[in-house]
Amino acid sequence: MLILLDVVTTAAILFIVSAGLLAIFGVLKIINFAHGAWLTVGAYCAVVAARLGLNPWAALPLAFAVGAALGTVAEWLIIRPLYRRPLDAILATWGLGIVIGQLITLAFGRDVQITPNLLGGTVALFGLDYSLYRLFAVLAAVLIGGSCAALLEGTRLGLKARAVIMNEALARALGIDTARVRLATFAIGAGLSALAGVLLTPLTSVDPNMGVAWLIGAFMLVMVAGGSFAALAVACLVFGAVQVLVSTFVSPILGSISVAVLAAVVLRISPRGFARA
Amino acid sequence: MPDRSTATRPGLAPAVLAPVALALAAAALVWVAPEMLDTFSVNVLTRSLLYAALAVTVDLLWGFTGILTFGQAAFFGAGAYATAIVLTHLGSSPAWVLAALALSVLVPMALGALVGWLSFHHGSTPLYASVISLVFPIVVTQLVYSGGEWTGSSSGLVGYDTLPLDLPGFFRLAGIFAVLVALGAWVFVRSDAGKLLVAVRDNDARCSYLGISPTRVSALLTVALAGVAGLTGFLFAQASGVVAPENTGFLFGTELVIWVALGGRGTVLGPVLGAVAIDYAGATLSGDLPFLWQLILGSAFVVVIILLPDGLAGAIRRGWTRVNARRDAAAPAVVALPAAGAAAGGAEPLLVVTGLGKRYGSLSVLDGIDLAVRPGELVSLVGPNGAGKTTLMRCLSDGTEPYQGSVQVAGRNTRGMTPERIVALGLGRKFQVASVFDSLSVADCLRLARAARDRPSPLGAAATLRLPAASLDILRLTGLDTALVTPVRLLSHGQRQALELAMVVALEPKLILLDEPTAGLTKAERTTIGTILRRLTADLGCAAVLVEHDLDFVREISTRVVVLHGGRLVLDGTVAEVVDSDLVRAVYAGAAHA
Repeated sequence: MLILLDVVTTAAILFIVSAGLLAIFGVLKIINFAHGAWLTVGAYCAVVAARLGLNPWAALPLAFAVGAALGTVAEWLIIRPLYRRPLDAILATWGLGIVIGQLITLAFGRDVQITPNLLGGTVALFGLDYSLYRLFAVLAAVLIGGSCAALLEGTRLGLKARAVIMNEALARALGIDTARVRLATFAIGAGLSALAGVLLTPLTSVDPNMGVAWLIGAFMLVMVAGGSFAALAVACLVFGAVQVLVSTFVSPILGSISVAVLAAVVLRISPRGFARA
Repeated sequence: MPDRSTATRPGLAPAVLAPVALALAAAALVWVAPEMLDTFSVNVLTRSLLYAALAVTVDLLWGFTGILTFGQAAFFGAGAYATAIVLTHLGSSPAWVLAALALSVLVPMALGALVGWLSFHHGSTPLYASVISLVFPIVVTQLVYSGGEWTGSSSGLVGYDTLPLDLPGFFRLAGIFAVLVALGAWVFVRSDAGKLLVAVRDNDARCSYLGISPTRVSALLTVALAGVAGLTGFLFAQASGVVAPENTGFLFGTELVIWVALGGRGTVLGPVLGAVAIDYAGATLSGDLPFLWQLILGSAFVVVIILLPDGLAGAIRRGWTRVNARRDAAAPAVVALPAAGAAAGGAEPLLVVTGLGKRYGSLSVLDGIDLAVRPGELVSLVGPNGAGKTTLMRCLSDGTEPYQGSVQVAGRNTRGMTPERIVALGLGRKFQVASVFDSLSVADCLRLARAARDRPSPLGAAATLRLPAASLDILRLTGLDTALVTPVRLLSHGQRQALELAMVVALEPKLILLDEPTAGLTKAERTTIGTILRRLTADLGCAAVLVEHDLDFVREISTRVVVLHGGRLVLDGTVAEVVDSDLVRAVYAGAAHA
């Protein structure tokens, strides 16, 4: 039972961390290697919120706003010239991640920061005392996934985004301002990543390099998911399960690389991953 | 593209001469440098020079072949760890040092074979190869962490016996090694065989259809450069006396890419200078302003990627060629090959298609196609847009396409065969939009078309270019024979079409597939192509299948015409029977409405 709960909550955390990256990859076909930096920015928003004496939950909207604002600038300055050079975009966003990481270091120092707990304590469930926060993560993942789906399926921007995903040239020919769709998508994706950074603070230590540790896992999940939130949810459940099982029964170190290795093998066998139409 | 101005005279020597002279000068500099530098600099630069050699291997993969890799760090680390593990746990007698040397090359090469197999397969994308190169160092690092006493886990291995050299000695060893690696890379990329790397980067589909397997080229290069990286790791473990998990990691892999990007990808000197300068500057400055240095480096990296994709060396070279009018490399002398005695018509069919069908979901594009083409036949495939002509061509030339029924080329069922294997059976395919190598010269393109038959030299540019007479005719008739050194990106539309046809003919195929070879060409160019196709089929006994919209052209040159309509073969007969049939008029010219 404990393992089942661990699987579900691990999957939820993976989903939260990957959602922003997926939103960007799905529409822009660009891999945002600064994703780790956005997670870090979000976590430091929690630090700032605490220093300002705000309610810890206020860090969530703050992080989304800061992440989206930074995303807007980054799309405009860095991503836009590189849409035709996707491999270079990986590198440029990686460089951006370095820059952001160093700026954070200069501002806050490289020490580990303490953030207030969003939700503490445990809850009795199925005869176990389980971390309340990890259970909350499941709810948060469902909320994020649900609102992304609603945004994509139910709004005008979502409709345009889907048009851009399917056939960008045609979308442009139909008068859709694809540049604006991309800008909006990148801003939202970056905002989601920063939001995820806040949600990570109770689970991990906050320091300028915290994002990098999460980047590779998120990246591999997104590669396997292709561009669909449903596929991402499935991938998170499957890989979360593998990670938990390997960590529990074999070794935590192998567990930490199981997602990456498994994703690489899945992509070798089925290049489209879980994203089959 | 490297300047090949010295490759003028016959023989390979001049092409090698200039780099060798430069390398000797660099080696001399490396030899005297330790006398003039302080201990700190000698120490740091020893490491920087080894990193420079590693940067060259990254550049060969990324800058020249287009494979963005973070994995060289892991091969380097594997070589370093192999060395340190042998010396720590097994012994440090000369025999064990030799064993460490051998293992430091062989272990990374074996890993390289695994990575190559994972990264490169028919239909794999460049992004996927980068993904693998990213996962691989992470896996290696984690294995090092979990290696317990054997790998020293997070503290690494230290205190093993190294080669009996002093600090300047290691500096010279590292320096000479870096010079040799750079020299080897330089000579190789300027050679005919080195053009393969650029060809794979430019157009891997065209490589396949020239019978060159791009996956094989990429995988072999990965294995070879894994060995070089491992050897670099051996020297690093010797010179530094310590190996740590960071030496294998993904972050180190990204640093290598940053050095290559700033120095100049696609050049040899750029990455060498980039690695040495940045690593040395980093070691010097990071004591005083550690975060600022990283910040500057990161910002410079972003700016260079966006604004100067070929780095500082690339920018300097462009400026240089603008000031100094480019001295054109002399064209190789073209030599005609004796025509292969082709079997006359009436022999076994070269192409047999039975019951071929192709569906995309519920949409049926091809259905029940039966077709046989014999030597000497020139079969035109006509039909309105959307009839399935191009799809048919693709099924004929790529056995990995999912389709029903069977396709036999020269008596072999091609199901599951990649294009390069079908090309080896004697097929040549010309695409609708000319598929050539934009960064190469006309002569280089033609030489690559012969690469599957005449092994290109890895040392220099050959002074002659051997081509079949028919291929030469195409060059003469279109004037390309006087433009052999012209970069392909400067050619006109018609010249590109002619060049691609000449390349396909240079394969000496028994069966040629041509997809609208005359689209967008002038009347004169069309006549030329018609003449050549008739000569290939009637005189040389090739078989050709031609997709064509121009019915006059079809009437002029075909021996047989096949009509494809709605995914089915509706007519198959002589020119007169088909072109003048009511059906063709109806579906093709819309005459039924007249």
